[in-house]
Amino acid sequence: MRAAVLCFLFGVAATWPAFAGSCSGVEDQLARVSAKLTRGDVTGAEAMLGPILAAHADCPENLLAQGRIEAAKGNAPAAANFYVQYTDLETKDSRGFAYFGRLFLDQRDYPKADALSAAALEMNPNDPASLALRGQMLAMKGQQSEGKKLLEKACQLDSNDPEAQYQLGKIFDSEKNSVAAVKYFRQATRLNPSDARAWDYLGLNLEPLGELETAEQAFRKALAVNQHGRYYDGFVDYNYGRFLAKRNQLPAAKQHLDRAIELAPQVRAVWYERAKLNLRMRNYQQARTDAEKAASTEDPAHVIIGLQLYSLLEQIYARLGETELARKYADLTRETPPPVRGEH
Amino acid sequence: MNGCCERIFPSKRAILGVTLALALAVSRVDVRGAETSHIRFENGQKQSGVTFVLDNGTLPDKPMIDGIPGGVALLDYDNDGYLDIFFTNGASLPGMVKGGPNFYNRLYHNNHDGTFTDVTERAGVRGEGYSIGVAAADYDNDGRTDIYITGFNRNILYHNNGDGTFTDVTDKAGVAGLSSTGKKLWGVSAAWVDYDNDGKLDLFVSNYLDWSFATSRVCGAPGKRISCSPTLYQGEPNILYHNNGDGTFTDVSDAMGISQHIGKGMGVAIADYDGDGWMDIFVANDNDRNFLFKNRAGRGFDEVGVESFVAYTENGVPVSSMGVDFRDWNNDGKPSLFVTALGGETFPLFRNEGNGFFNADTYAAGIGFRSVKLSGWGAGIYDFDNDGYKDLFSANSHVSENADIDPQQHYRQPNAVFLNLHNGTFKDVSAEAGPGMQIRAAHRGCAFGDLNNDGKIDVVVSAIGSPAELLYNTSTDTNHWILIKTVGVKSNRDGIGTRIKLTEASGLVQHNHVTTAGSYASSSDPRAHFGLGANAVIKEIALKWPSGTEQVLRNVKADQILTVTEESSR
Repeated sequence: MRAAVLCFLFGVAATWPAFAGSCSGVEDQLARVSAKLTRGDVTGAEAMLGPILAAHADCPENLLAQGRIEAAKGNAPAAANFYVQYTDLETKDSRGFAYFGRLFLDQRDYPKADALSAAALEMNPNDPASLALRGQMLAMKGQQSEGKKLLEKACQLDSNDPEAQYQLGKIFDSEKNSVAAVKYFRQATRLNPSDARAWDYLGLNLEPLGELETAEQAFRKALAVNQHGRYYDGFVDYNYGRFLAKRNQLPAAKQHLDRAIELAPQVRAVWYERAKLNLRMRNYQQARTDAEKAASTEDPAHVIIGLQLYSLLEQIYARLGETELARKYADLTRETPPPVRGEH
Repeated sequence: MNGCCERIFPSKRAILGVTLALALAVSRVDVRGAETSHIRFENGQKQSGVTFVLDNGTLPDKPMIDGIPGGVALLDYDNDGYLDIFFTNGASLPGMVKGGPNFYNRLYHNNHDGTFTDVTERAGVRGEGYSIGVAAADYDNDGRTDIYITGFNRNILYHNNGDGTFTDVTDKAGVAGLSSTGKKLWGVSAAWVDYDNDGKLDLFVSNYLDWSFATSRVCGAPGKRISCSPTLYQGEPNILYHNNGDGTFTDVSDAMGISQHIGKGMGVAIADYDGDGWMDIFVANDNDRNFLFKNRAGRGFDEVGVESFVAYTENGVPVSSMGVDFRDWNNDGKPSLFVTALGGETFPLFRNEGNGFFNADTYAAGIGFRSVKLSGWGAGIYDFDNDGYKDLFSANSHVSENADIDPQQHYRQPNAVFLNLHNGTFKDVSAEAGPGMQIRAAHRGCAFGDLNNDGKIDVVVSAIGSPAELLYNTSTDTNHWILIKTVGVKSNRDGIGTRIKLTEASGLVQHNHVTTAGSYASSSDPRAHFGLGANAVIKEIALKWPSGTEQVLRNVKADQILTVTEESSR
């Protein structure tokens, strides 16, 4: 029945053989497979799973591992198929729902990911996979403190889940607590050195701590491992470019911000940063082009606010001798109140 | 040397012959080019007799006011040639009264031997209300330094009677710090400046924001309250008082284009940034755009902070600007700005390009990554190692006593000193600057000056809840120096606003100007200081007085306190 419900919910074809056999004798091996998958070692997990599949074809746990392997490869329908089979057989194992939920999260199907993460946690509030997914979902829904608690618990119960470490690091990053964020991003990169996102965040959070050389290494590592896939980070060049600009390495910064614009031309912040850099390098005409592009680019998250744009445009126009435009943006700058903050 | 000049205090180094000095000058590149820092500070408070502790009267809810005091002034009130020290102090809350000696402002007389005597009571300057800032200068040209105090509920002008006592002349002078509607504004800093070059010092007062206990907001968790953001309150206008020359002042804020600009004023500094002979005024605003009031030949001011690119950081947003100094740190003849702010924001460094624009050099100059971790109040641009290049100093502490709930913020912080590397960049040398620079405290205002007349700039720092620090400059360099005390005749008696261009025998040209304004809520040594490196003789000192008088001294010996009296107009 559960399978039927899942089929209805998720549109997965329910044509699979029954699995009801024992996994006796391969529990440790399966645990190692799971650990490899948690750490992103898909090749290693697949190699280890092969003999288990041959010897214990009816072990339900195989389905979970296969689903995770397919998910990691980006084969969502196949992964979903395995997860549906597993959750139908192991109806009380929260992990099946948690990994299935994560698949939906990867597919940006947030309502389903939200529903499955809630169901998984309800089944087992001490399952690290369920805690990690639910914590991430809550944080994404704006319930940051609740999400943080679940992620902290997930990391306590399983310190080898790089995704949980990464997600918790992100929460500390958003709280501007770089000391704690660095701790979790370091662990995430240690567990999964191919996670470009974690390296990027590590660099970003080392910077305010004054650990500039280590930050530099982290950014470089992020660039070196950045590949399309689950751990891809489209903003490494943007962040590294800004970092290099602060270190007065302007031509190198320019290269990375050029690349950032190639990768994310729809993002206002990348145009804004290159405009600032061009202004600093006295490439005023190029700065003008970039700043005007930034002004015409939507920024629903208000990463770069109006005040910043007006101030930048005013400077560029003034440098170019465009008196009227400079005056216009100076007036806009004065008329725009600064952002309100609650605490000093 | 011009006959008008009087050598006040001989230095041991003055006995060095010119020949030796010239020989040393040959090797000055080696001496000055090194990144090795000789800057050292030693806290002489314990043996000084200065027991002042800044009491902010804090309450569990941490009202806005408790983070904002207090200022320091270095002034020679008795004309004995040595700087005395004045501290402002808070008051009991919520009453805003100086309910006991722990809240009195304090004046300490310099005994010339490293000790000081508390003369507050005799001088009659304990003050009233919740005091914040102080500005010292001779406003009535009688040769004696007067004191102006800003505060939340009481601003005070003390006239120096010349006998070691002062008289409160606030009401008679008309400088109570009221708005045009009669509301007492929250005064923070003040600057004595002769904005119209009429030979009489005028008074600029920065005002903070419209806060009271009745409208006070509460921020942070119970038991761990933190200071609310100033963005939750409306700002207040600043005030400019014109000196009428008869002991009274006229509020010209409206007429001069000052009061139209509402900010959240903190530190104030003055300089003639565009070299037109008229002093301009910079106001550091807390979480609001900074103001640069460009002087229109004494006929009014244009606020050009946005147009000059000093209103915001390079990121186009305001920061919690606190203190400021406005001097030429790269020896190009153009005064530049150093502003302190809170942790996570950096201390903006705005380099004056000389074309009406400033460039945000914070990261380019190498102080961005370091200052982003600091919260600063007092600020100074002074040559601490006398190598001919001005360094930077910041008095540090977070605004909120409970700031440490954020692991990256710290309420008590050590002060910082940044060494000028002679190439437009600075290096943080605080860690190697001696134990005086390692003291973690809730530092606030600080004043700069030569306490012991040894030619090295010392720093006196006020701190909430702990003894003020008397940071004697014990730098290990052997460089030469000069302090120039200006005596105006046609210009104001203190010579405030006089621009000084000094040319060394080696050819290096330095610039400074006479002012007591700058830092945070504080007032510094009016004597203009120059470090001279290995030069024992100065080729030329050119002074441009506010009156327009130009005066040139040639072949001046180093290592002296030189009094220069303004010549009659030619």
